[in-house]
Amino acid sequence: MRVLEPLIELRRGLWTTLRSMFEKQVTTQYPEHKRPVKARFRGLHVLKRYDNGLEKCIGCALCAAACPADAIFVEASENSAEVRYSPGDRYASTYEINLLRCIYCGFCEDACPTEAIVLGDQYELTFTNRRAAIYTKDMFIEPVPAAGKPTPQKTGPGMFTRSVPEMKDPSD
Amino acid sequence: MTKQVTLTIDGQQVAVSEGTLIVNAAKQIGIDIPVFCYHPKMEPVGMCRQCLVEVGRPVVDRATGQVVMEDGKPKIQFGAKLETACTTPVSDGMVVLTASEKAKANQREILEFLLTSHPLDCPVCDKGGECPLQNLTLAHGAPASRFIYDEKQHADKRVPLGDLIWLDRERCIQCARCIRFQDEIAGESVLAFYQRGRATDIITNSEPGFDSIFSGNTTDICPVGALTTADFRFGARPWEMKAAASICSQCPVGCNVTLNTRREAKSGGKVVLKRVMPRQNEAVNEIWICDKGRFAHHFTENEHRLATPLARKDGKLALVSWDKALGLVAGKLADAKGEAVVLASGRLSNEDLFNLKQLADGLGGEALLYTQMGGGELTTAYGVPAGTNFAEMGIGTTILVVASDLYNEAPIWYLRLKQAAERGATLILANARETKLEKYSQFVVRYSYGDEAETICGLAKKAHVGEAITSAENLVVLYGSDGLGLDGSSALAAACAELVKSRAGKPNNGLIGVWPRANDQGAWELGFKPVADLKAVFQKANVVYIAGADPFGDNPELTSRIPHHASRIPQHASRSTHPAPFIIVQELFLTETAKLADVILPAQAVTEREGSFTSGERRAQRFYPAVPARGQSRADFVITAQIAAEFGLELEGRFAARVMDKMAATVKTFAGISYRELAETTEQWPIVGRGDLYYGGTTYENKQGLGVILALSPSPTGRGARGEGKPLRPDEDHWLAVPVTRLYDLGITVATSALLKARTGGAHILLHPDSAQKLGLAAGEQVELNGNRLEVRLDPTVPVMVALVPRSMGVPIAGPMVAKIKAA
Amino acid sequence: MRNPQSAIENPKSRAMLLAALYIAQEQYGWLNPEAIRRVADRLNLTEGQVRSTASFYTLFKLEPQGRYRIQVCEGLSCYLVGGAEPMMDFISKKLKIKPGETTPDGKFTLEVVECLAACDLAPALKVNDELYGQMTAEKIDALLEELRNV
Repeated sequence: MRVLEPLIELRRGLWTTLRSMFEKQVTTQYPEHKRPVKARFRGLHVLKRYDNGLEKCIGCALCAAACPADAIFVEASENSAEVRYSPGDRYASTYEINLLRCIYCGFCEDACPTEAIVLGDQYELTFTNRRAAIYTKDMFIEPVPAAGKPTPQKTGPGMFTRSVPEMKDPSD
Repeated sequence: MTKQVTLTIDGQQVAVSEGTLIVNAAKQIGIDIPVFCYHPKMEPVGMCRQCLVEVGRPVVDRATGQVVMEDGKPKIQFGAKLETACTTPVSDGMVVLTASEKAKANQREILEFLLTSHPLDCPVCDKGGECPLQNLTLAHGAPASRFIYDEKQHADKRVPLGDLIWLDRERCIQCARCIRFQDEIAGESVLAFYQRGRATDIITNSEPGFDSIFSGNTTDICPVGALTTADFRFGARPWEMKAAASICSQCPVGCNVTLNTRREAKSGGKVVLKRVMPRQNEAVNEIWICDKGRFAHHFTENEHRLATPLARKDGKLALVSWDKALGLVAGKLADAKGEAVVLASGRLSNEDLFNLKQLADGLGGEALLYTQMGGGELTTAYGVPAGTNFAEMGIGTTILVVASDLYNEAPIWYLRLKQAAERGATLILANARETKLEKYSQFVVRYSYGDEAETICGLAKKAHVGEAITSAENLVVLYGSDGLGLDGSSALAAACAELVKSRAGKPNNGLIGVWPRANDQGAWELGFKPVADLKAVFQKANVVYIAGADPFGDNPELTSRIPHHASRIPQHASRSTHPAPFIIVQELFLTETAKLADVILPAQAVTEREGSFTSGERRAQRFYPAVPARGQSRADFVITAQIAAEFGLELEGRFAARVMDKMAATVKTFAGISYRELAETTEQWPIVGRGDLYYGGTTYENKQGLGVILALSPSPTGRGARGEGKPLRPDEDHWLAVPVTRLYDLGITVATSALLKARTGGAHILLHPDSAQKLGLAAGEQVELNGNRLEVRLDPTVPVMVALVPRSMGVPIAGPMVAKIKAA
Repeated sequence: MRNPQSAIENPKSRAMLLAALYIAQEQYGWLNPEAIRRVADRLNLTEGQVRSTASFYTLFKLEPQGRYRIQVCEGLSCYLVGGAEPMMDFISKKLKIKPGETTPDGKFTLEVVECLAACDLAPALKVNDELYGQMTAEKIDALLEELRNV
């Protein structure tokens, strides 16, 4: 019997191999094939725009305040009717995230009063040095939507005076 | 001692003096009653209703007048309605409930009302993060509003009240703190309410708008973000900034300030100064600072600041290394020995001046103070001693202000004297012209320019004024240099000193100099002597080491001694046989003097280093570094020590604290003072700057030191009294031109702040309308004064046939002079 | 804490402010800057304080007013007899101005006011200080014509 034991074990092992040949594949051929991410996946940040092209970000720096890794740096400047980047008085003239520090926790999304910063689907990030890991505003900002104009825009006086969009229903 | 009253607040017993308001009594035992309109520095108005509390008082039997007892305790009757804690004074046996269901409900509902039309601006609001409305809403507000969001009222969000202050009408909660500050504290009623109800608006009724030199303080006490400064607007979020304690370097008051700094991409990643905030020191500036202190800080970060040492090579200034510059300078100084002169100004700190004095002494040379105001040896001897505080002066105190326009020269002293007068102090103003403080004075003594000292000498014998001076319990004399030069002010100081001599050493008594610079008093204490004839200095000396002074900029005539400026040498001067001196300039900027220098040593600004200033009240106060140093610049005391080291003289050049230790060991009036002592603090009232921003405003709490008043030097070290020299009395064709000080001038420390430009204007003189008419001139036209073209401004307070020439406004003027004025 | 002797504000002068403003308005027709300045000077107040107080009361006018101020009652009685609204519309159309406005020639200012305390005479209106009751279109027409030709 002792002679047969290895053979039995071998057969059992090969059976597993044989069975798995007909099972559905669990791996994908990355990077040729990319698996779609889950709905609540937290990837690279995106700075959103309104439909008219104005930036949602108002430079309030609440994301920077909420960031547990201290990865975000925001600096604000003042809008005017002639040179307008975002609704209201203030826009982010500098917006930087150090992606080596970022832990993709999504607190910045939560803190944002205008839903300007959103963690997107992009996860393919490579840097060759530390400086390159600091992404700037132009790398985060969303392309201008078809119906909108690029920023800065020239808007009429008295338009877009409010930074935070008015809420119809406060429970919203 | 006032009567003590015992009451119970939220179960805690507290004894406070009679007349105390409930809100303050509660604060003393750490109970915070929320307020918006109440401010501890101002009269209560009870407008916002946020402070309503339940108040119960013991029931008194009408027949017997006895307190009714119930179960062995006084029976307490609570009012049917809530009472405002900010207007109700305490009474014996009172019981206050600040956190009862009823009081809490009120706090919640008032906040709900305030928020009905308050915009959701917190993310962009400059106040966000240090906002009383935000904090109180978090602490006491309702979780949800019952009002309809669509019905929020909208109003203008960008209203410039003036050049310096912006109003956001939507954010205003109509607490009137700004209006009341201007009315009660600043005494400049330039703000007012307009219309009523929901339409209520804050307007300015001055031309130019918000014409007050204290306007910045309204943004500190504004409990919302309605008032913001043009300087800081959207500069940074409050929590992102670091704070460093400092002392304002603009005038002799020595206001305690906090410098807020931040690393900024706009400034190329450098740490920069974002704003200047007041820091509480109830003995110096309380919780206020003037607009010059708040907005004129930009010189420290000006792009034209010197960053590297420069030395003259083939007639041109060229970059050199520190080693080379120091070697060159030390070599020249060592060769010159007793022929070397150190010329420094009160812009430098005590430590810098001490090292410079040590260097001069070591060489056997002279240490001269660059100033046009004398009498420092007398303020050192008869100045105000420890325990002096303007805030304690009231009935029984006489304050005499001579030849000083405090509103322009030392704005915070103006505020404090105004308040002392309102408390009952006798304020006497002696000046040749009307100044703003006169409105609050009991007596006004008017003299002609030139008669200052004589007038003061005869003052004690005058009927009412003399009595007010001689019979006063406390007497403080402030003298300045309004219309005076070095000689005149020295003589005036001697006359003033006579009045206070017998009171020397008594707190709240003494002589105070209203100096032109922050640390002039310190320079006098350290043994610097003023120089009357600068020209002679440049004629005699072999090496002149100038630190923090611009004599050539102030008086271009001096250049005749310097060969690099051959084009400007008048014919007769070039005949002089003595070679021109070697000039070393230690400066922040390439001033006119620096342009003529042989070696320029870049110094650090007050924001970049440690040190201490001695205020006019002789209070030594520390300042701390806030931002990194510009380029290769070094602190003044370090440079001096390094020069000294080159020729073997050992001075402390590493730590400012050690310089102070040396000073304490060698200078009598600094005896025993150390940096540790200067950094000591005690509890101050009102409590500000803690979690309860709604109470005192965003003023910083003082955690870094209240400073120490120096000991008096028992015997005056200098010559003191110098009464010679007749007053100038020009003939018919000539005018008497006298120097005056203006708050905003064209000096480099103010002119570099773009915001203040509109308030400063260009070079001008002030004439009485009648005088101008005589010249056939109207306001705004040009005149020629001794070869300078100036704009004429009319001022009915100027004496006839006298021209007031503001200092540092483009016309060199050291003292009163006879001038020819004609239409240009 | 304050020394009563050096009271900056004389309480008496503030108490006289409303009366002074009333007189000034009668003299000038409205509270123009000169009127405000004169009141401030006389009572030793700042112009800001005077303007601030004047702006609080709707009866003080800080804009130029017509020579005849027509105040149409909108009180309950006038409303119920069907007077207030038609009366207003009629005058509005006639003078070509809306309530609160002044005619370009500076003759008439039209205002809506709450009860004039003349319910027995409803519908009522006031021209300056004179009351006119039981108004009809014809009566208004005649009144306006008369005033226009004065």
